[in-house]
Amino acid sequence: MTNGLLPSRRDVLKASAAVAGGAVVAGTVGSVGSVAAAGTGAKFASDDLNLHMLRRTTYGPIPSLHASIRKQGRKAWLDRQLNPSKLDDSYCDKLIANRFPGMKWNITQARNNIDDFSWELMRDVGVATIARAIWSKRQVFEVMCDFWSNHLNVANPSDNVWDNRHDYDRTVIRKHALGKFSDMLVASANHPAMLLYLNNADSTKDNPNENYGRELLELHSVGVDGGYDEEDMRQSTLIMTGFSVDWQTGLFEYNTWAHYRGAVQVMGFTDDNPAADGYDVGLRYVRYLARHPQTARHIAYKLCQRFVSDTPDPGLVNTLANTYLENDTNIKPVLRQLLLSRAFENSIGEKTRRPFEDLVATLRVLGYLPDKNGTSGMGDLYWVASDLGHLPLAWSQPDGYPDEAVAWQSAGGTLARWNTHLSLAAHWWPDDLRQPALRKLLPDRLPKTHGAYVDALAQRLVFRKLTNTHRQAVLGFLGRQAGDPLSAGDEAVGWRLPYIVALILDSPYHGIR
Amino acid sequence: MTPPRDSAAVDLGAVNRKDCGCPQDQQTAARRGFSRRSFFKGALGAGALTGLASAELSTRMAFAATPYVGDVVVVLSLRGGFDGLNTVVPTSEPRYEQVRPNIHIPQGALIPLDANFGMHPAMQPLVPFWNDASLGFVQAVGMSNPTRSHFEAMEEMERAAPGTSVRTGWLDRTLGLRDSEGAFQAVQMGSSMASSAFLGNSPELAMWSVDSFDLSGAWDNAERQRWRQALEGLHANAPDPIGAPAATTLGALSTAGDLQDAGYTPAGGANYPNTGLGRAMRDVARIIKADIGLQVAAVDFGDWDMHVDLGSVDDGWLYDKLSELARSLAAFATDLGTGMDDVTVITMTEFGRSLTENGSGGVDHGHGQAVLLLGGGVNGGVVHGDWPGLANDALVDGDLAGTTDYRQLLAEVLEKRCGASVSTIFPNAPAERIGVVTPRV
Repeated sequence: MTNGLLPSRRDVLKASAAVAGGAVVAGTVGSVGSVAAAGTGAKFASDDLNLHMLRRTTYGPIPSLHASIRKQGRKAWLDRQLNPSKLDDSYCDKLIANRFPGMKWNITQARNNIDDFSWELMRDVGVATIARAIWSKRQVFEVMCDFWSNHLNVANPSDNVWDNRHDYDRTVIRKHALGKFSDMLVASANHPAMLLYLNNADSTKDNPNENYGRELLELHSVGVDGGYDEEDMRQSTLIMTGFSVDWQTGLFEYNTWAHYRGAVQVMGFTDDNPAADGYDVGLRYVRYLARHPQTARHIAYKLCQRFVSDTPDPGLVNTLANTYLENDTNIKPVLRQLLLSRAFENSIGEKTRRPFEDLVATLRVLGYLPDKNGTSGMGDLYWVASDLGHLPLAWSQPDGYPDEAVAWQSAGGTLARWNTHLSLAAHWWPDDLRQPALRKLLPDRLPKTHGAYVDALAQRLVFRKLTNTHRQAVLGFLGRQAGDPLSAGDEAVGWRLPYIVALILDSPYHGIR
Repeated sequence: MTPPRDSAAVDLGAVNRKDCGCPQDQQTAARRGFSRRSFFKGALGAGALTGLASAELSTRMAFAATPYVGDVVVVLSLRGGFDGLNTVVPTSEPRYEQVRPNIHIPQGALIPLDANFGMHPAMQPLVPFWNDASLGFVQAVGMSNPTRSHFEAMEEMERAAPGTSVRTGWLDRTLGLRDSEGAFQAVQMGSSMASSAFLGNSPELAMWSVDSFDLSGAWDNAERQRWRQALEGLHANAPDPIGAPAATTLGALSTAGDLQDAGYTPAGGANYPNTGLGRAMRDVARIIKADIGLQVAAVDFGDWDMHVDLGSVDDGWLYDKLSELARSLAAFATDLGTGMDDVTVITMTEFGRSLTENGSGGVDHGHGQAVLLLGGGVNGGVVHGDWPGLANDALVDGDLAGTTDYRQLLAEVLEKRCGASVSTIFPNAPAERIGVVTPRV
């Protein structure tokens, strides 16, 4: 994620984090030396491998999902998730179909149904993405859609995608998210959203625009260290001249007049490219890139970074890259191998939730439901995610949101996360979403003591008991001892309940992915 | 089209919160976003603030190998495309009035700047700073790869690395070369979303305001302490990626809390307008004076996309915007006084506007733009830049050309006022400097 020009600041941060953490707090409050003595995430994450699987591969465990994976076993559960069309997701399917009818429109229908340059569909695809993350049962599929949306990023909203971004989401990302990468890459190269976002629509033999030709190598396929040079990048651009968009209809068109003719060569791909119609050459080139061993490594690395560790093990990356090539760019076998690997099992606590993942996990674990009618509350979540700095599909640069903890460490972001937990727990905002009574987070028969109360709430929210130190912190907030009896009239089950829920969600137990 | 930032400006604090089940008084407090200032006014005075500030300061010293010495740079983004031609008006170009028959600023109404330019009368509050040479302008500033799209132009400008595949923003790269000096090192004020100039791994703190930077569940200092202790306890032994930002956040909350308790009265009779920009500039001055490590502040001031009804010389859209801009900046400079010797304010906008007015009394997207610089180190009282003129062959697609690359200005400020080496911040940028600031002494 670094730009290659500058030394990474990560090492500096790492080195200073302990000092900074201790010093800042010690200077103001005192007694927090323990924050500085950094532990590992494993201490906060339950070592239950089922929960580990759910934290990593879904938008957050909920009790029913936990029960389901325990019953089926991880392997069977994962195999069902990897065949999403077989999963009954009628609730979410209906929600999207009824509340976001534009999601099924093609580009022509979109142009017929909304005003030119309207923000309506760009907003709706963002909100529908949030809704699916929360309420879809096809959780692994949704996580992979997010992964590919960032890998083949077309920033939403941005110029020129008002009529096509939702179509890109459906026909490029969702269609191929668990299929073959080769097909997805070809689909993206044929889609107006990508061709406009990276300016290939304007690229001609006489006046080539290198934006797409470069990113196709650097981001979409072989990666920045893939071994191409500037001449490869120019040739890449020339091959793709002609892939364009009809400005009248907004649809893909191939412009033979714009296409560069003549022999081309990029990273082992060669073609005489003699014809004005170079569409097939372009497709061959894109497919070649998808199957390149460097692309295999690049995608394997990114999958490992998403699912295992910020700094993936090269051995694991190589294994997965081989699987990718052996299966002709098929994603499922790669994902299956990765998620059932020992390396995956051993990585408990090594990833942290990014703000959007934290938001969705919070909504899920609190049992939030969509608006009774309309999309007002769901639409508000668009602004919540935006305020958290992690609105889905919205990363402005072509490289997609980073998935390293170091990129998400601002104090403003942390405070926004904490305040969002309370706002959701207390049902302050978005108030049009439906939230079950908070009291239902606790057993019908109240725990007998305040200590047991904290245990029960933690078990429900973060799926494990807190350590004694951390339990003390929550009890301290209530001004109680663990053994103090609990009754229905106590603050802890009354007006303080949303505060306690928020506090537990503020803890690292909920921050671990 | 309005950039998403503007529409993102939903004030969460203003949202009417539903019954949260708390006792009436706490609910009211929560609803009002209760200010701890009103609670503790006078109780904790400047003493507490000084104590905290020095604690933060010593913290910074503790882990900054070489503490930053240089100006606080305030980047003011005039989003939407700021009309430099009606602001720093070319008085020696007869064509200006011809192509803007209904919206030009008449010569007689202009504030004279030099032989070739006059300033829009709404800029009157800034005249003293022009006269004392802390205010300057650059005309005909542009980008090496101009585009008329808001999104693309803004992103490109804030990335500031055309022709490369650098993904980060220029402020992020600037900060990446410095030691980390605490949560308030880089602040986006007046918004919860940081400008894309901050894109990258260096942390920045985006806040609506100093007073709203608070735990929403705490309505007084006792509650705040209750939360802080619990959050500290819950983060004991936390892994770095969660524990370090949590500790920084608690420290920043503590600092902000003391600023809130201390309250703020601008110095020198400075009178900030009670607008988004006025409040943001007031808070920037406030944290500069609190000496809590601010190095870079970014403030967005949008709504310059004047395709329709730009207005007249003493009324309307442009007049109102310029008036708010001038009053806010004048108050800021007055408030800081000699402190402006260590501050450089620079404006940026994605493009200038079309030379010719359109059929709706507005101006469309153009090229060359005007930049405003304010600060003790500014070579003020001068309209800088190589004015290309408005003759047909000097125009680019019918609009004012850009003759100075905006990165030359940013680079000069960073080099001369902040001690930065800019080769990695602005790869491949033109090396020429036009003398908009003087070196720091």
